[in-house]
Amino acid sequence: MMQRKRFYLTSKGLKDIKKEYEVLKNLRLAKTKGEVPKIWESEDLNPEYLSFQEDLNFLETRITELENILKNIELIKTPSKKKRDAINLGGTVVVEVEGDKDEFTIVGTLEAKPSLGKISNESPVGMALLGHKVGDEVVVSSPIKTIYKIRKIKY
Amino acid sequence: MIINYLKETTPAKAGVVFLINASYSKNMKELVNFFHEIGKLKGMPRRGWVINDIKNPESIADHTFRAAIMAWILAERKKGLNTEKILKMALIHDLCEVSAGDTTPYDPVLPKSRKKRKELMKTWPRFSDSEKKKIAQEKYKREKKALEGLISKLPANLKKEIKNLWLDYEKGLTPEGRFFNQTDRMESFLQDMEYWKKYKKPPQRPWWLWAREFFDDPILLELIKEMDNKFHKYKKPRI
Repeated sequence: MMQRKRFYLTSKGLKDIKKEYEVLKNLRLAKTKGEVPKIWESEDLNPEYLSFQEDLNFLETRITELENILKNIELIKTPSKKKRDAINLGGTVVVEVEGDKDEFTIVGTLEAKPSLGKISNESPVGMALLGHKVGDEVVVSSPIKTIYKIRKIKY
Repeated sequence: MIINYLKETTPAKAGVVFLINASYSKNMKELVNFFHEIGKLKGMPRRGWVINDIKNPESIADHTFRAAIMAWILAERKKGLNTEKILKMALIHDLCEVSAGDTTPYDPVLPKSRKKRKELMKTWPRFSDSEKKKIAQEKYKREKKALEGLISKLPANLKKEIKNLWLDYEKGLTPEGRFFNQTDRMESFLQDMEYWKKYKKPPQRPWWLWAREFFDDPILLELIKEMDNKFHKYKKPRI
């Protein structure tokens, strides 16, 4: 049984998911006809798609997963100009942490890739930063206290 | 009586045995080579502990063992996850490290001097956006190539299964991949706290900085709270 939860996605995230869904559906169709779709010859094709080409079970699982995501999507909208001074979902924030500068984009769990600076709105730091403005100092403790000084917010 | 039975049935039985052996022995040489290769993980210490000068650090296989058990038991608490898939994913997730080696977030900035390294371990390495992308891409390419090499002689179905499980874990393609990606790191975090309790290292600050940005699964966040209670109840880490 698939999890029923809302998936927060940026417009870029949604575009990528839709594109992948279309590609994989075409692949499934082509496979039933015994053809190799032209898209496989494209150079900008995500190399992971090639694994789906070889494994029908994997292809079906991913298509079902994408359908579940598309059914339960909550698009992250850019806030109105008045609200852009605060950190919202989809916003990028420049922070100073213990003397080091870092930059995070706050995204939904599906797009989160902390190693690439995309942190989840459900992570302790993501949750703590939401709603704060430039100049605020956000304290995240337990057990070690860390202060995130907010330097810049971008959308 | 038994001898009579054998006399009567041996030729036919032997034929059957021979056929079974032939089918069993298919790819057996490749399997032995594969098992031998992955066995090397039992003797490979995890690099994150080595650079922190931990005595007798755990091996990559040690980490895999507990990560698999944690993933199985914690996955049962979540609705709709395929436990068998998660278990297989846990077992294969670090196989690429047989030849790609183990990497740490400190590698791009790791000094040779032991003294400087000790100082660096008290901080969490921060990188620019482009550096983050470059580091992640290089690691991914290196590990993918290593895994493909390791499994290249395996039967096609097995090869596909291992590769796709690894891709799922790396890219978070399904709920199982996303959950195990975090559970894997949770096992390392638990080991970190155990070493800290025993040796007062590695420094805890960078681990907490990272963990509070990395984890977002509610079950795993609950587990962190309990781990904190257990290991920091009487002595809170300062660095």
